[in-house]
Amino acid sequence: MSALEIRGIRKSYGSVETLKGIDIALQSGEFLVLLGSSGCGKSTLLNIIAGLAEATSGDVLIGGRSILGVHPKNRDIAMVFQSYALYPNLTVRRNIGFGLEMRGVATDERDRAVNEAARLLQIEALLDRKPSQLSGGQRQRVAIGRALVRNPQVFLFDEPLSNLDAKLRLEMRTELKRLHQMLQTTIVYVTHDQIEAMTLASRIAVMRDGRIEQLGTPEEIYNEPATLYVAGFVGAPSMNMLQATVTGGKLAIAESDVRISLPARYANAAREGAQMVVGIRPEALRVATGAATDLSLPVEIEVVELTGPELVTTARIGTQRLTACLPPRAQVAKGEKRSLTFDEAALRLFDPSTGKALPATGLERTTSH
Amino acid sequence: MSSTWMTTRAWLLMLPLLVVMVAVIGWPLVDTVGLSFTDAKLVGTGGDFVGLDNYSNMLSSSNFSRTLVTTTLFAVISVAAEMVIGVLAALLLNQEFRGRAILRALMILPWALPTVVNATLWRLIYNPEYGALNAALTQLHLIDAYRSWLGEPGTALAALIVADCWKNFPLVALIALAALQAVPRDITAASLVDGAGPFNRFRFVILPYLAGPLMVALVLRTIEAFKVFDIIWVMTRGGPANTTRTLSILVYQEAFSFQRAGSGASLALIVTLLVTLLAVAYAALVRKTAGSAA
Repeated sequence: MSALEIRGIRKSYGSVETLKGIDIALQSGEFLVLLGSSGCGKSTLLNIIAGLAEATSGDVLIGGRSILGVHPKNRDIAMVFQSYALYPNLTVRRNIGFGLEMRGVATDERDRAVNEAARLLQIEALLDRKPSQLSGGQRQRVAIGRALVRNPQVFLFDEPLSNLDAKLRLEMRTELKRLHQMLQTTIVYVTHDQIEAMTLASRIAVMRDGRIEQLGTPEEIYNEPATLYVAGFVGAPSMNMLQATVTGGKLAIAESDVRISLPARYANAAREGAQMVVGIRPEALRVATGAATDLSLPVEIEVVELTGPELVTTARIGTQRLTACLPPRAQVAKGEKRSLTFDEAALRLFDPSTGKALPATGLERTTSH
Repeated sequence: MSSTWMTTRAWLLMLPLLVVMVAVIGWPLVDTVGLSFTDAKLVGTGGDFVGLDNYSNMLSSSNFSRTLVTTTLFAVISVAAEMVIGVLAALLLNQEFRGRAILRALMILPWALPTVVNATLWRLIYNPEYGALNAALTQLHLIDAYRSWLGEPGTALAALIVADCWKNFPLVALIALAALQAVPRDITAASLVDGAGPFNRFRFVILPYLAGPLMVALVLRTIEAFKVFDIIWVMTRGGPANTTRTLSILVYQEAFSFQRAGSGASLALIVTLLVTLLAVAYAALVRKTAGSAA
């Protein structure tokens, strides 16, 4: 039995359909991240699970029980909001214990639960303060504490780290990961930050225009993006996408005389003359040292940016642009003509007309959704 | 530019307004203070200096104490009712339903009407011969015969309070409605998930955002209610048997009906002092509320 099951959820506001049929089943202890840009429907879906919005059709089950029509307080969920949503005139202690207080839990039991949550989140010293006396990071810890004490079947997080500054966001991300590993709770987490999604999730649902574009483990999403959208959305810098044509069993890069080999696993799917989008992650590219091979990309270096751990290099191949993440000591300079290369296994092909990944055959391709 | 010149320029720019204020507020006030120490009549000569006689006579008169009680009753009951009705109306108009925009606009109407129009309207409603209230209550078999609501000492003040509430609750509702827009949706959602019912949601989620603005409304309305004149003057002129006579009416009667300018001036200053005390007390309260809500 799934801890959380979402079946064919649709949601319309008037004539606008924001969710167009969502199906997800979540095992107990899974950390699902709903990833997408704003307006993709991820927060609406979370609100439907929480009971703060009503689905137009479909069903949501928690522990096998349908919870549509059940009041949010009876759904056995707890929610953490982007704006922390703390009660401004209550102390931290009462904020954390509020859900228990409203449920009539006895004072000493409530105190025990609050103290335990405060200890886990290292906010014991703040218990008697008001939210206005706390920093953003402390407030978010309180909000998480308020969810923790309830000990619900499913935790819902709505962009909980978006209001924090970069350094704090990193700290809280690790903190959340630690909490999840320790407590093994089922979590649904909404974010537009793909790094958050990659680092936290046991599975990611990439959403776009009210649909799930791809549902898979972070590795699958990163290594085997099902569509051009996923390939472009996950990973920073984004995956390089070069227009090409299948010519004589090779991939001819558009508006250049560069030809690279067509990996054998795509031989069946890539017909002669077909338009292709060649996807290569910037991290997969390196500066070629030996003679040119059929995996060489002759480029002209345009911009070199040192980020610290790597040199983000923008280069031109014909009229198309390419980004490569090179080691910081790579000897590249603006204006140079160099050759970049990559492993054949790192190459992905997409059909530009459908935006979908080309089906691959053989053993090289690992698991996929 | 030197700061002295900036200061001088600021004062120069304010000078015309200061002159006007001294002329229309400052001078009459000083003149009133002077007048209050004399036995001057409204017409005739300036009158003789009588020291604090006017004040001691006024403060020891039963008229004054009775009127003070009436005024306090009027102010406390009408303002309390306005606050409760205003907040309830705001909560209602904050719900989403069809026709909400029209209802919000309609609600402001009683407050937007001139007081005289409002008072005349309520006199018609209370009319002992053809008033709507009498008709309605008779048809509902709640009363046997038509009554003179404004003519009976037992009901006149209550009838006035109802009319004043009807006129002024929209102001409170408007302020509360504006404050309700500041309640974050997330906190409301969090309280739903936390299992807070309507009462607890009001107490822990809504009230903290409402308290500051409501305090301002309370200050404004109490001071106005304490100074009330127009609605009472149009509806009952302080009667019957002075049961609806408030301090402002008493000042008017003393100075203009009985033409005792000196005595009227002393009473006006006493009322001014009382209202100032109220304002200062409230200002402190507002500052405290604003401080705790931050």
